[in-house]
Amino acid sequence: MIIFEKVSKKFPIGTTALEDVSFQIQPKEFVFLVGQSGAGKTTILKLLLRELLPTKGDITVDEIRISTKKFKEISTLRRKIGIIFQDFKVLFDKNIFENIALSLQILGINQSLISDAVKESLHLVGLSKKEDVFPSQLSAGELQRIAIARAIVGDRDIILADEPTGNLDPQTTWDIMKIFKKLEGKKTIIIATHNTDVVNSFQKRVISLKNGKIIKDLEKGEYDI
Amino acid sequence: MKEIFTSIRRTPYQSLAAFMILFFTLFMSTAILIALSFLYGLLHYVETRPQVTVYFQTSVQENEIFKLRNNLMNTNKIESIKYVSKDDAYKIYKELNKENPLLLEMVSSDILPASLEIFAKNPTDLPEIANYLKKQSGVDEVNFQKDIVDKLLTLTDLLRKTTIIFFIFLIFLSILVLLTTTLFKIALKKDEIELMRLLGATNFYIKKPFLLESTFFGLTASLGSFLIILGLLFYLSSFLNTYLKGIPDLTLSLYVAQITVWPLNMTFLSLIFLVPLLFGLGIAIFSTLLAIQKYLKI
Repeated sequence: MIIFEKVSKKFPIGTTALEDVSFQIQPKEFVFLVGQSGAGKTTILKLLLRELLPTKGDITVDEIRISTKKFKEISTLRRKIGIIFQDFKVLFDKNIFENIALSLQILGINQSLISDAVKESLHLVGLSKKEDVFPSQLSAGELQRIAIARAIVGDRDIILADEPTGNLDPQTTWDIMKIFKKLEGKKTIIIATHNTDVVNSFQKRVISLKNGKIIKDLEKGEYDI
Repeated sequence: MKEIFTSIRRTPYQSLAAFMILFFTLFMSTAILIALSFLYGLLHYVETRPQVTVYFQTSVQENEIFKLRNNLMNTNKIESIKYVSKDDAYKIYKELNKENPLLLEMVSSDILPASLEIFAKNPTDLPEIANYLKKQSGVDEVNFQKDIVDKLLTLTDLLRKTTIIFFIFLIFLSILVLLTTTLFKIALKKDEIELMRLLGATNFYIKKPFLLESTFFGLTASLGSFLIILGLLFYLSSFLNTYLKGIPDLTLSLYVAQITVWPLNMTFLSLIFLVPLLFGLGIAIFSTLLAIQKYLKI
């Protein structure tokens, strides 16, 4: 379970990214974080990944407080989380197989099991025959599928997606969201987005943010800011 | 191994620079190590020869020689004294000229002088001992190897000091080049490192490829320099055989053991392989750690 308790984040330049944000996310829950640019969606994801420390408040992941300076098991925490970025962050000098295998190698998965796991994740995202292809030969939609495959491979419990469809056309956006739909109920999924259509069509929990504050937290919500 | 070769293929010039500087450092270090070993071995050899030999007039009686020997021993400056009687001198003469009967016929033990072969505790006392002996009655000639010992001492001392300065310069240069090439490689893999961190890679996992690569360079550079040095040693062995003719062996006294430098043997060859190997690995790993410690903090 993920718990945010009165979390605030102020940056040294004086910007307040989050203010007294509290919420709980149950295991295997599907949640949208919505809001305009600068609302604090990415800050929440970065706090969960322990890229940032909160200025105030507590963050707990699976009963472990990760918001203290004393917390040193950052790599252990991150190994539970699969992350998907708007700009894909794939490695262009590695082929698709190597890009996905990297995630498994970091988890310390035995080399003999990696091949099957990579093939399985590529099958899930619909790119079964592309393992030897290099990223420069793929479209934006295909690159995002690779990023999703890399995030879900190796049984990571939590999937964080930061504007996963931000760079994609409408058709590809739906293809990508179908993959998330397949993962529903299997992993905790938190998607930060400002894509109204996607949020409205899913009818899932929506946490709406504005100027760093939660303005709505609805079980079957819609994009309404 | 695959990762190492991929990294070398991606940054061929930086990898070549890292390898070459390590190779040069290790080659020079090994060459100097061997030169110093031979020089110290030679010094040790000369120091173990009679340092002062005093020849007496043939009329001098043995008891007078023994009296002088006792006086010398009482000075506390003497390590040992060997008495060579006229008969002993004749035996040595016969051995040296056994293939020349004419020379043997011309000489008898009566005309050969008795002598004392004196080993000083400290080579710096040699001039004083020699002067003392020259003033004694019945002394015909005093030979001592001050000049040779002095020259060798000066040469080894100079080489040692020059070597230390040269070593420091080489180590500094190697660390600088290796540090720069590692930093370049880190900059080149910046995106990959950032992604690995976000995917949960440990510090060691991120550092491992850099450390493996530097270990590979350390190993190959030391092996390469050793093979070339070995080839040179065998190429020069006939020259050394001639140059060191008459010297049965050169040994090097270390704190824990005495190592034979010449003739070439497995122990000495192992030493000149292992010392530069550890030295090369040490420099390579230290430089890499320095670079990654500074720029790969999580």
